[in-house]
Amino acid sequence: MIGPAVFVAFAIAIVPLCYAFWLSLQDWYMLRQPAPKWGGLINYRALLQDTQLWASFGRTWIWTLGTVFVELLLAMPIALLLNRETGIARTASALILLPWVTPFIVLGFGWRFLLDSDVGPAHAFLHMIGIAGDSSVLNDPVLAFATIIFISGWKGTPFLVIALLAALKSIPDELYEAAEVDGAGAWSRFWHITVPSIQNTVVTVGLVLGILAFYSFDLPWIMTKGGPQDATTIVGIAMYKAVFLDLRPAYAAAISIVMLVLLFLASMFALRARRTD
Amino acid sequence: MRRTSPLREAGLDAVTLIVLFLFLVPILWVFVASVRPETDITGGGLWPQRFTFVHYVAILAKKPFLIALKNSLIVGIVVAIITTALALPAAYALSRFRFHGRDFFGLLILGTQMLPSLAVLVPLVVIVRQLGLTNTLTALIFTHLALGMPIAVWMLKGYIDAIPKELEEAAMIDGCSRVGALTRIVIPLIRPAIIAVGTFAFVLSWGEYLMALALISKADVKTLPLALQALFDPYSFSWGQVMAGGTIIALPAILLFLIFRKQLVGGLLAGGVKG
Repeated sequence: MIGPAVFVAFAIAIVPLCYAFWLSLQDWYMLRQPAPKWGGLINYRALLQDTQLWASFGRTWIWTLGTVFVELLLAMPIALLLNRETGIARTASALILLPWVTPFIVLGFGWRFLLDSDVGPAHAFLHMIGIAGDSSVLNDPVLAFATIIFISGWKGTPFLVIALLAALKSIPDELYEAAEVDGAGAWSRFWHITVPSIQNTVVTVGLVLGILAFYSFDLPWIMTKGGPQDATTIVGIAMYKAVFLDLRPAYAAAISIVMLVLLFLASMFALRARRTD
Repeated sequence: MRRTSPLREAGLDAVTLIVLFLFLVPILWVFVASVRPETDITGGGLWPQRFTFVHYVAILAKKPFLIALKNSLIVGIVVAIITTALALPAAYALSRFRFHGRDFFGLLILGTQMLPSLAVLVPLVVIVRQLGLTNTLTALIFTHLALGMPIAVWMLKGYIDAIPKELEEAAMIDGCSRVGALTRIVIPLIRPAIIAVGTFAFVLSWGEYLMALALISKADVKTLPLALQALFDPYSFSWGQVMAGGTIIALPAILLFLIFRKQLVGGLLAGGVKG
C-alpha cells in the first residue's frame, strides 16, 4: 500500500539526486560537447575557479541569514501580539497567513508594481523618506538586494508566527503566575520563561526557513532576473542560468551537489544550537 | 486564566489591527489595483474612488490566458486526485501495519518534503528531456506530485492514528475485509482531512512557478504563472491587467487555504516542525 507513495518519493527525490551526482561527473557542454561523456572532476575543478559563482554563494549566505533575520524580527512581536484570546487576535492569526499562501508570481509582480517609479505607492514612500531616488530601488544593486531580502522575509514570516504561536500557547500559565509571585517583572518573565520555552521551535523552524531561503529562486528571478549587475544573483539563479542560458547541465548539476553539501554542513552546525533536554 | 484588563486588551487589539493592515497592505494593493481604471492606477492618488472590472474582462478575453487557466485547472485537479489517492493508502499502512523498514519509508517520504524543487531541478529537467516529455502537462503533473504528497501522507497518518483500531476490528469481525474497513470506516471519518489534503495539493500546484518555467515553453501548455509573466513582458502592458491576473491566481489559493486552515495548519506544523 505504501508502494506508490514510496515510488513517487524515489522518482522525484532519490533518483534525481543520484542522477545529479552522476551528471556532475560528466563532461557535457551543449556548445562544445553535445553528448555527455565521462569527465571525472572536470566540473568541480571549473567550479572552484569560477569567481562569479563564489560571489553568488556569498550573496546566498547574506540572503539566507537576512531572510531568517527579517522573519524573526517580524514574527516575534506579531506572535506575542496574537497570543491572546480575543476575537480580533484569532481572526488576525488566520489572515496573517496570506503572504505565505499567496504564490510567488503574484507577490513578485505585486511588489514590482508597488516599487515602480511611475505608479508604485511604496516607491513614492521610499522617495519621500529619502531612501529611493527618482528611479526604483530595484534599479540600484545594493537597495534591490536589501529590498528583495526584506520581501523574502516578509513572505516567510507567517509560517514562523504560526509555529511561535503554537509554542507560546503550550507554555503553562502557572509558570508566569509563579514568577509573578516571586516578583519577576515583565521583561524577566519574557527572558526566563518565554525565550527558553520557544528556543527549540525557533531553531527548528528557523532552520526550515533557512533551507527554503537558501534554495530561493522565484522571488529574485521574477523581480529582477538576478540583476541589476548580478546584485541579486543568488546561487539558485546562477544554477538556472548555467542550464538554460549557458547550456551547461553537467556544470549546473555540480553546483546543485555543492549546494547540498554546504547546506548539510550548515544544518549540522545550526542544530547544535538546539537545547538538548 | 491570567487576569487581563479589558482596556489593555482593547489597546492591544487596536495595535493588532494596525500591524495586520501594514503586513497585508502589499497584497491588498494588488486586489485594489485590479479593480481601478488604468488612469487612476497611474495617477489617481492612493484612495480608490472608481471601480471597474475592465481588466478582468480584458484578461479573460485573451486566448493565451484562457488556455493557461484551463491547463492550470487540469494540472491542479489531476495532481490533487493522484496525491490523495497515493497518500491515503501510504498513510494507512504507516499508521496501522508493523513492517520492516516502516520508519525508514516514513522518513523517506517526509524527507522529500524537505527537499526544495530547486535541488532536483537540473536532473529532473535532463530526465524529462531525455524521455521526450518537455512541454507536456504530464511531466509537470509528475513533478508537482512531490509538492504536496509528503505533507499529505503525514497529515492523513495523524488523522488515522487518532481513529481507534477497535472500530476496524469490529467491522472485520462482522465480515468486512481490510479494504472494506478502510473505505467504510476510516475514509468517512477522515473525509475533511482528505478534502483538505487534496485542496492543499491543488493550491501548491496552482501557483507553482519554477518547474513550469523550466519544463514549459510552448504557449499551448503554459500554466497561469507563466501566462501572467507573458502579460508582463512586452513593452506596452497594463498594470491593471497584470494585477487582475495576479488576483485570479492568488484568490483560489487564499480562499481554499483559509477554508481548510484548521486541518492544514496542524499538518504543516507536524510536517515541518517535528519538535
